[in-house]
Amino acid sequence: MKRMAVLATAVGVIGIWASPGAAQQAKPIRIGVPTAMQLQVGRDTQDALKIAIDEVNAKGGVLGRRLEMVVADETENPETGISAIKKLTADDKVDVLIGGYTSGVTLAQLPHISTAKTIYLGVGAASPSITAKVKQDYDNYKYIFRVGPLNAAHQARQVTTFISGFVKGELGFGKIAIVGENAKWVQDLVPLLKKGATEAGADVRVTEFFDTQTSDFSPLFAKVKDSGAQYMVVILSHASSDVFAKQWYDSRFPMPYGGIDVKSMDGDFCDRVGGKSVGEMAANFAVRAPLTPKTVPFFDEFKKRTGRSPVYTAFGAYDAVHIYAEAVTRAKTIEAGAVIKELEKTSYVGIPGMIEFDDMHDVKAGGKGPSLLFAQWQDKCERQVVFPKELRTADFVSPAWLKK
Amino acid sequence: MLEILIHGAVSSAIYAMLAVGFTLIFGVARVLNLAHGSFYALGAYGAYVLTTQLKVPLFPAALLAVALVALFGVVVERVLVRPMRGSQLAVLMITLAVALVVEQALFLTFGSEYRNVPAFVDEKFTIGGVDVGGQRLLALGVGAASVGTLWLFIQRTRLGSAILAISQDPVAAGYMGIPSDRIFSIVMAISAGLAAAAGVLAGPFLSVQPTMWLLPIVKAFAIVVVGGLGSIPGSILAAMMLGYAETIVGYLISTSWTEIVSVFATLLMLVVRPAGFFGRRAAF
Repeated sequence: MKRMAVLATAVGVIGIWASPGAAQQAKPIRIGVPTAMQLQVGRDTQDALKIAIDEVNAKGGVLGRRLEMVVADETENPETGISAIKKLTADDKVDVLIGGYTSGVTLAQLPHISTAKTIYLGVGAASPSITAKVKQDYDNYKYIFRVGPLNAAHQARQVTTFISGFVKGELGFGKIAIVGENAKWVQDLVPLLKKGATEAGADVRVTEFFDTQTSDFSPLFAKVKDSGAQYMVVILSHASSDVFAKQWYDSRFPMPYGGIDVKSMDGDFCDRVGGKSVGEMAANFAVRAPLTPKTVPFFDEFKKRTGRSPVYTAFGAYDAVHIYAEAVTRAKTIEAGAVIKELEKTSYVGIPGMIEFDDMHDVKAGGKGPSLLFAQWQDKCERQVVFPKELRTADFVSPAWLKK
Repeated sequence: MLEILIHGAVSSAIYAMLAVGFTLIFGVARVLNLAHGSFYALGAYGAYVLTTQLKVPLFPAALLAVALVALFGVVVERVLVRPMRGSQLAVLMITLAVALVVEQALFLTFGSEYRNVPAFVDEKFTIGGVDVGGQRLLALGVGAASVGTLWLFIQRTRLGSAILAISQDPVAAGYMGIPSDRIFSIVMAISAGLAAAAGVLAGPFLSVQPTMWLLPIVKAFAIVVVGGLGSIPGSILAAMMLGYAETIVGYLISTSWTEIVSVFATLLMLVVRPAGFFGRRAAF
């Protein structure tokens, strides 16, 4: 009797172990998404992740395991950001983190990500300080990678090229004003920009920072106007770009403006401000053009699924999923140490360009890497790429009241 | 110099519209209405919804937005504030609760992004070499006119006298046959309507987002503390002082410092003369 029981148990165990159903019940790989859910950057991060996850799962997942995602709202506030990380790592026990937007929030989250020993692929925050920690303290911070955007220092160099090559080079405006919001990434970027622009021969008449919460820009505009500048270079992300554009238009400000304006990357920005941003030139990391074989298909799929045009965090999010999936496949495990070694070897054709990491786990700029494209809002809120010249889809159009 | 004069005037007018309503409801009903900023926000959002989503033409939409918010104010007063009239603290808390609920409702309905309230006047005017958007000048004009009209109304009409009477001595006013409850509703409607009008006028060139109620209530509070709780002339004077102080700081020092001015002014006045310039416990 007892022998029968032992035999039956043995058969049962072997049966369960050998059954093909067991392999398919493998635990899914969880992607934690700390992002500013209420903003466009957050929504697009999630939608792009869904597209990428569906693609990977359709091909059988990673190491036979499906991908799934869990989102937590980090808002633009460091305290909330830290709670989001704790929720994702401690409660939801995610295997990897993909997200981010505000550099200040990400910097606050770093120690907690390190404690949780979870890989973090940044898609939205630009401060170089984030990846600097990788080099300063590799053992604790090796988990941090930035897939996008280009860090503020790279962006400064590219805006410098914009100023020298286009603002001064083509438009002939040698006198510029630099205006930026008082946020960490801008504080990192503007000194480099000022230095680069001056070396390129531009005359920086005034440099002003303003509080991110500012809603009345008239004192700022007055200062810029009085400085004798001919073009206003802006560095905006969290600030009220909408109000800025409206007030620039309302006062028929006597110079065009452009630069980095994250909210202007939104496909519906121009409509949101009643068409008042026509004339503004804003940097974009990608537009619906064949920058790489992946660019146009992604834009189309994103438009099909959401009806919108993606903002910059979407590119990073989509590429991050594939980069992680490929690294895990090469490492044949999801154990962080091994995956990190494979991530460091990444050479992936992404949406804005070739994604490779430098020794600080930061996406490389230049060469085949991503670069900033400057697009202008033109009549009927259509966006046209004006710089660099190789990708130009339309010529620069002066704001209506400045046309000679 | 002229820049400061004009932009300061615009700020002052908007602040005056907010502060006068706030001080009015306090002077008459002893209600410290922390939801006052919400009326401002609802005015702006109301104009946004009516023009963008319901496609109502601009001018009727503005009037309708103001009327609806005035009605909302009356409902808040009737349903939430009146039962709590016995305790000032309870009134404070219930109005704060209203403000928070409105903020969250706006957040859920419209998201956190800035919304566009279309401007009445699109042109730019140049006054003495200073470029001013037309909408700002409209805000200045309408603000000054409405506050002036209110002042005249209080001073010259029977209803105005009734309001004055209740603010001086509610019991005696009751003996004279003045229906205090109905007057409170009317005053709340005026107060909310003024705040909503400020929102409709300033919305096109300032930011319209769910948390836009907070800064106006802080400023309105600062203004009435400086001007004297319950005093309309005091509020107007203090509104001008604050409007100009902020503009001067913004132009001469930096825009980052403007928000500190109102807080600093409150602190200073509370230390030096807590009753404010024209503050008395009773009448305006």
